[in-house]
Amino acid sequence: MDDGSVNRPSPADSNNWKLQPAIAAQTQGLVVSGFGSLPKGRALLLNIGTVDPAVEPRGAWLQTLEQIAPVTSAQPTGGSATQAVALAFTWTGLQVMGLAETGLASFLAPFREGMMQEDRLRRLGDRRKGEWQQTVIKGGPLWSANVPQTASMGPEVGAYDVTRFFSETAFGGGEIVHAVLLLYAPDEGAAAALAAMVAAALLPHQVTVVRQLDLNLEVEKSGVSNEHFGFADGLSQPAPFDAGKAVVLNGQPVTERDPIQGVPLGDILLGYDNGHHEVPPGPVVPGDDGHTINRPVAAGLLPHPKAMGFFDFGLNGSYLVVRELKQDVAAFWQSMDENAAAIATRDPDHSGHITADWLAERVIGRNRNGQLLCPAGPMPLDPAGQPDSNYLFRDTDPHGFGCSLGSHVRRANPRDTLAPTPDQGPTLLHSANNHRILRRGRKYGPRIADPRVDDNVDRGLLFMCLNTDIARQFEFVQTTWLLNSSFGTLFEEVDPLVGPDGPMTIPEDPLRRTIHVKTFVQMVGGDYFFLPSLPALRYLALL
Amino acid sequence: MQTTLCVPLEVKPESCSRLSALIDELRLQEDSGKFAYDVNFGRVIRDIPTLHFMSVSVFMSADYDPLFVFEANMDGPPGVFWGQIEAAFGEKIREMLRCCKQPLDDDARLYLAVTAPGSVAPVAPYMEARTQWPSAFHHGNRGMSRDRILTEAALFGELRRELDDPAKHSTDIYRGLPPPQVHRQLREALLPGFAWLAADSPPRISSTERTRDFIRLMLFVVVLLLVLSLPGVAVAALLPARTYFLLILVLAAVIGFLIYLARKALPGTEMPTKFNLLGFLAERAVLIACFVAIAVILTTALMWPLVMFGSMLLSLLEGRVWSTEGLGFWHMAGITLRGLLSLIVILPLVVLWLRYLEKRDSSQADPPLDPVILHDMARQEDWVAQNHMGSIVLIKPGVLRTILLRAGHLGLGLLLRVTATNGYLGSMRTVHFAHWAFLNNGSRLLFLSNFDQSWGSYLDDFIEKANVGTTLAWGAGVGFPPTRFLIYDGSSNGRMFKNWALASRAVSRFWFSAYPGLTVNQIERNNRIADGLRKPSMTEEEARTWMMDL
Repeated sequence: MDDGSVNRPSPADSNNWKLQPAIAAQTQGLVVSGFGSLPKGRALLLNIGTVDPAVEPRGAWLQTLEQIAPVTSAQPTGGSATQAVALAFTWTGLQVMGLAETGLASFLAPFREGMMQEDRLRRLGDRRKGEWQQTVIKGGPLWSANVPQTASMGPEVGAYDVTRFFSETAFGGGEIVHAVLLLYAPDEGAAAALAAMVAAALLPHQVTVVRQLDLNLEVEKSGVSNEHFGFADGLSQPAPFDAGKAVVLNGQPVTERDPIQGVPLGDILLGYDNGHHEVPPGPVVPGDDGHTINRPVAAGLLPHPKAMGFFDFGLNGSYLVVRELKQDVAAFWQSMDENAAAIATRDPDHSGHITADWLAERVIGRNRNGQLLCPAGPMPLDPAGQPDSNYLFRDTDPHGFGCSLGSHVRRANPRDTLAPTPDQGPTLLHSANNHRILRRGRKYGPRIADPRVDDNVDRGLLFMCLNTDIARQFEFVQTTWLLNSSFGTLFEEVDPLVGPDGPMTIPEDPLRRTIHVKTFVQMVGGDYFFLPSLPALRYLALL
Repeated sequence: MQTTLCVPLEVKPESCSRLSALIDELRLQEDSGKFAYDVNFGRVIRDIPTLHFMSVSVFMSADYDPLFVFEANMDGPPGVFWGQIEAAFGEKIREMLRCCKQPLDDDARLYLAVTAPGSVAPVAPYMEARTQWPSAFHHGNRGMSRDRILTEAALFGELRRELDDPAKHSTDIYRGLPPPQVHRQLREALLPGFAWLAADSPPRISSTERTRDFIRLMLFVVVLLLVLSLPGVAVAALLPARTYFLLILVLAAVIGFLIYLARKALPGTEMPTKFNLLGFLAERAVLIACFVAIAVILTTALMWPLVMFGSMLLSLLEGRVWSTEGLGFWHMAGITLRGLLSLIVILPLVVLWLRYLEKRDSSQADPPLDPVILHDMARQEDWVAQNHMGSIVLIKPGVLRTILLRAGHLGLGLLLRVTATNGYLGSMRTVHFAHWAFLNNGSRLLFLSNFDQSWGSYLDDFIEKANVGTTLAWGAGVGFPPTRFLIYDGSSNGRMFKNWALASRAVSRFWFSAYPGLTVNQIERNNRIADGLRKPSMTEEEARTWMMDL
């Protein structure tokens, strides 16, 4: 679903960008890499139990982790790494870790409120008026950060106040997740062993694995990885640049915006100029005046440039959005079969080209190999033999006769497609790039034997993406593009791949076709995480 | 013609919470459907058939007592509308008015009559008396009456069923036909249910209205030229032509140089932009030149009687006999034209003065946000395709700012009437209406709007696509991000601008749209389809283009 992340690196690929060495040493490796050379892995969703700080410091488990499976930095390894580790916390996780109240209050509102906040669930298409939607598994999510829902309601009563009742239904079900630990290994055996070892080592610290997913990256002969429906995934990532030379590509600093995929580094990593041309305010922690050791200084945090007496907890960190998305492969292909059959029945004379595969390609917007659909056929592979992602829609396919106007690829990144006139293409491309996310997801669960037969096995995508402004980036993509019922010139239809049951328009010359897709992807759980820098992790370990 | 108006009323602070509760109650009463496309507000739709949009909110402020704002967009003049409002909501509004202050002017009598215990006097006359007209406004689907929007949407729905519903046609009878035949057959199929398709498409904007809009804009420019060139005319009348030209050129050069010196952004506030003012003007140079040429001719023609009248008045006051010596038309025309040339000094002078003010402006980096109000706002948002926002900001003080803002709004409003007729406000086509009004003796600026998609994406459009226009329209607000030459930087400071705008908002407690599921784009699309179906036949080319919309 164009949501994964990791391709076999090719020399020309802008996915090969790195951070300047001094910054890389402070940053988690997940920022610069999806660890494509380590195809197997585990996602451990952790719950941090309460411990008596007098008996054991809250950060003790992080010190244990540092010894057995240290979090990987963004420094290049030269391809010799045998394992990689990434760690991120939810707001409740940081609360349990004992981060200061001022620190907890200094994060972005979406992170502080959590993904399960009532109004946010509505905007993300998960829940309306107290009812979970089709795109969420029956009974509601199995896990979340469980952020307290009344946090933003002021309890104060003023003179002359009139009592008004609100029905805020707090989401309380499911496992409470405080952190996600991502483990990457070269093979299944190593992944299983690493996960078991880590779980066993954390248990004495009251840190338990409440959910575990096996992460897969099955790279095909073509060099790309397919998601469960059978389509190449993880193509087309943003290419960061930074005027301050923090980004490096092939040994050279990238200070200029790539004309098509360029985004400022600050949209991916905190502490740098972002899409709003500024270093955004990030989270802070207070200084340790009066303690025996000054923990922020000991951990290597820098003084905050604007908040006197506070330290920059956000620098070289990022926000990690996680959504466990279950894929119903059989439903997907059965639905394509049904639509193809319905078209053949109703229009036998002009539908010879329409097969389940043809429809599925239109739903995605690319063919199975990842080549963009164009009016004259799939876009040719690039010189390195990889699917070309450096295209614009207004030039190649303004009417969507190749890549349908409502296809997942077009909705997930419209590029210049929303420009009303050709001369506004550059403005709209620039505007679209203000909402990009860096995807780091991986699929979980085994490959299905027969894609048309349901085997009742859980499989899907652990959607993960990095961004520094959750509302402007991830939430915007989900709400204003994917689930917008009036995206571009379309009406009363949403993303055919990740949305609920509904129609999808497939433009054809001269008359469009309409198919009816089912719900193929359901959210199993999810929340917003903070991916700390390595000094910030050291600070948490000192708590 | 669509009418846009608002009624701002000061609230008794002690009754503010009660008023908010009354508005919430009204919404709960009317908004009863469970899902987005159920008929919510069914009674409002039925009983107020001219109404496009309506909202009722209370604006809190640290500087003023709370302000109750009733706002509506309707077809035709407001008289009929007020009658319908009276019948539908009279008693509810009376309750709300009781929470508002008694006005200090002559309207007090009307207020007391309406709000007295047990009063049955109609509330509409009071609302009419307190109506505030917009300083500028924009309508997204210009010239579309509510009925036309709704009927054309119904037509679109029926057309889709005709094309796609297997229950209607078990085989796809339109596929493979030549486009003109598809058009003809669809027209035949839909005509019985939509008899109005047989008639020609009525013009959305009548030629009378268009002419009037054009004349009003021209009048504005002429008056502007007259006023701005008066000092120049006076000087031109006193100085020999050659001296005058020399003076103007020297002054223009000096001021131009001073502007050049002041052109740079303040440290850390420059926002890269692709917008090029000169390029923008150059693209429209011919159009602008023609318009200005006409305005100059009119100004020259008008200056003569003005000067004649002035000199007559002067001679009367001085008690001497009036003579027209030296006041021949052509002589005066020459002086006026020379006077108009002084604009190359006057306009840059205004810019320089403005730049001086801009360099000393304060902008608010982090305005306080009330989490309870933010929560209340989020609760009302993102239920349907459209959303509503209301915002009030304080206006920066000073003579120049006041004149620029007042004249700017007047000019912008008139310009929008002439140019924004196809749904686009700049490059944005998500605005159903935008409504500005001055409040509290001109010390505050009200902005109300209905738009497609979320508030966040609306603001992102302001930041990414319409930053020039947004900076122009809102730059006079206290605390606005640093601006440069009225249009640069400003709202491109995305986060700062968003926070500033968010802090100025009120909870849209009650807001109504007669077509909440339709976007500006879709209304235009429905209109293109309907207009196409009204035509008895189409050429191959026409039909192919038309079919792209189906």
